[in-house]
Amino acid sequence: MLARISRRLAGLLATLFAASFVIFAAVYAAPGDPAVFLAGGRDKLTPERLASVRAQYHLDEPLVVQYGRWLWDCVHLDLGRSFQYSDQVGDLVSARLPTTLQLVAYATVLFVVLGVGAGILAAVRRSTWVDSAVVGGTTLAASVPSFVAAIALVSLFGVQLGWFPVTGSGTGIAGTLHHLTLPALSLALGALAIISRVTRQAMADAAASDHVEAARASGVPERDIIRRHVLRNALGPIVTMCGLVMAGMLAGTVVVETAFGLSGIGSLLVGSINAHDFPVAQAVLLLMVTGYVVVTTAVDLVHPLLDPRVKEVRPA
Amino acid sequence: MTTHSDRRRGATAVLAAATLLTVGACSGADTTSGTGGGSADAAKLQLSPTTSAAKGTLARADWLLEDEPDSLDLDTQGTSAGRVVLTNVCERLYQLQPDMTTKPFLASSAKTSTDGRTLTLTVRSGVTFHDGSKLTADDVLWSLKRHADPDMEQSDEFGNVSSMKKTGADEITIGFKAPDALFTKALAGDAGIVWNKEQVEKAGQDFGTPGRPDACSGPYALKNWKSGDSITIAAYDDYWGKQPMTREVVFRWAADSALVNALKTGAADGAYAESPNTAAALLKDKDIAQHYGPSTASLVLIPTARGGLGDEKIRRALSLSLDRKGIADSGYGGLVEPWATPVGSGAWGYEKAEFQSAQKQLASLAPASPSADDLAEAKKLVKEAGAPGAPLVIGTDASQGRTVTANAVRAALQRIGLKAQIKTVPTSQFEEFYSDPQARDEIDLLVGDWYISKADPMGFYDNGLSDSSNNWVGFKDATYDKNVKKALATLDDTERASLAIDVQRRFADAAVWIPIAQIPTILLLDAKLTGPPASQAYLYYPWAAELGSKRAE
Repeated sequence: MLARISRRLAGLLATLFAASFVIFAAVYAAPGDPAVFLAGGRDKLTPERLASVRAQYHLDEPLVVQYGRWLWDCVHLDLGRSFQYSDQVGDLVSARLPTTLQLVAYATVLFVVLGVGAGILAAVRRSTWVDSAVVGGTTLAASVPSFVAAIALVSLFGVQLGWFPVTGSGTGIAGTLHHLTLPALSLALGALAIISRVTRQAMADAAASDHVEAARASGVPERDIIRRHVLRNALGPIVTMCGLVMAGMLAGTVVVETAFGLSGIGSLLVGSINAHDFPVAQAVLLLMVTGYVVVTTAVDLVHPLLDPRVKEVRPA
Repeated sequence: MTTHSDRRRGATAVLAAATLLTVGACSGADTTSGTGGGSADAAKLQLSPTTSAAKGTLARADWLLEDEPDSLDLDTQGTSAGRVVLTNVCERLYQLQPDMTTKPFLASSAKTSTDGRTLTLTVRSGVTFHDGSKLTADDVLWSLKRHADPDMEQSDEFGNVSSMKKTGADEITIGFKAPDALFTKALAGDAGIVWNKEQVEKAGQDFGTPGRPDACSGPYALKNWKSGDSITIAAYDDYWGKQPMTREVVFRWAADSALVNALKTGAADGAYAESPNTAAALLKDKDIAQHYGPSTASLVLIPTARGGLGDEKIRRALSLSLDRKGIADSGYGGLVEPWATPVGSGAWGYEKAEFQSAQKQLASLAPASPSADDLAEAKKLVKEAGAPGAPLVIGTDASQGRTVTANAVRAALQRIGLKAQIKTVPTSQFEEFYSDPQARDEIDLLVGDWYISKADPMGFYDNGLSDSSNNWVGFKDATYDKNVKKALATLDDTERASLAIDVQRRFADAAVWIPIAQIPTILLLDAKLTGPPASQAYLYYPWAAELGSKRAE
């Protein structure tokens, strides 16, 4: 197990290294000149001024040299200073990270509880109206883009009914939950269909296996069969899918953050890209990739614990 | 800086019926125009620099910005959002009044020599910074030198300055290479902020970032800036002037629909709307009053010399055939007003009546809705010039107002027999059109907006100088250049106004830029509250200090 974990960690670092270069180069290659932004207003942009700004921020050096400089600083935990805010990138990110993490955590709880619940319900009541209702309902939910869901939820529960606040992320546990309910719901809606479908299918596959047939034939109560045999065996794909969806959310909160006026990582990223704020865009993208890789690696490591069969087929 | 547009947000801000802007316009009049239904009619909007005075105090106000400020050091990063906050915290040597005039402020008095080459400022006594230390002439001199540093945003205001010296215990003397009519107006802007030298130096590179104290002397002190969340300012107990009506203001930020929703649900008490479309979405809301005030902002078309628009006749033809009223109604909810000069009426900080009548006279070159005669004249001009072969390319971004404008320009060009196409680029790329000649190589015309930070049309017309980087069509007129330079060196308001009107006429005749509409400042405010100015002065005047409730408690 330890060897396996260390191998995974090495792979993780290699992935991050590759990703960091791609991110750096991609941000660098984006259209638009950061020097124009850095130099300020429209009427003071002489070519000399632009050249001096480029030199000041090392924008005139070759890409690889800039990357090396950036990576060296990153390794020393220095993410640099934002071009736009002249604040430390680390401070900017750490001020906004909690909001995004809380939002994703809340949305994850929602889609796991509701999605897995709906999937189990559909599987247990297979080929009944309940099954059709779950499949139909979740398909509908998944077909609504999150920004449409956000607008609908805001106008109904925020503006019309006044039950939930429409902007900001709140303070304290109760305040945060109150403020983040609608955004988390908008974010979770799309995931519901995927998770409930995967749950339903995984349970159907597990229910069709030989040992379940055998247990059923030997008179084990249906409730125990579902809990001990079907659900247990179906857990692998369900957890994997939940992990992937959650990891995807880390990078996909921007639309919801914008609609609800939340200052999170997503809106920071979009703002920094628009402003050609390289240090911030690079840091946020790297953070998102790291989040994704860490979550998927964790899922990979947890998988064999849930389903011993997975371990057997892989060389230890 | 002399002229600039809000480079972060293409959207805009202000204006309405300049006809109502006559001299001394109704200060104190309640001009609430939250009509409670329907869309606005630009011709009926009342435009007033102020709102009626508040009667009751307010413990706390929640205020919305369209964006988080980049920095609270306006020397390094000057954006509107930062100014809206900081204008309550920091004070300037001069102060821009709600009616767009300026007066000495932290300079208790100012004296210009007869030859206009020296300005002597007396530093106000009895003023303390928020850390309790006394404001001194040394702070003033240090601040001026910081503003003048070539790396700082305001450095171009100091182009005429030859020396800045302390000439007495409370006296600063500024020498000029040539008289500079706009310099004292610049001192009412960011170039006149007086910093607490000790605090700025102590904070070093971190000055103006979250978690740092301010370095100013205004009615409010910066209490807290929680990065990504909110900024709080609180009344400063030892303020030298009158104590503010509102004791604490909490700023948050939200864009577009989130901003509208926050106002609708009462989560915020008010905002200065940067985009007329935000205000248009709230027109039916009875709990939110809308106040419109004069600003210098305008919607403009900025032609390049690339294709046919290098020819003055084609530019004039386009100006004659453009449906400005249609653009105002469909693109901006009727909250902008068709206009014939490239600066809004808020620029008239002096000689208002003269500027107003001059603007009206130019309407024949830029009609609100083109008449049959206008179109016939336009077609004639095109015929004389010869139609360009390639289609004219209209540069725009995807925002609602600009999209409508771009389509209206295409329609106007087609009406006079010219081919046109629209090039839509992302907002971040759009901003480069203003500054990068290479980016502009792909367009014949930019759907732009512009405002100037000083209430003086001469703050704009230097853009038409033959060597100006904003003169994209290569407009050259020796008399124009001579008169602009003369006006900029003319300290007498009446004389300068007549020169300004002359260069304005030349600029309009040659259609160097093509004006579309002026944009008012729009103040969105909880209907129970009142007090702050409605004009563009909100960027440079401590507006929160006058915010309060309509009823005495």
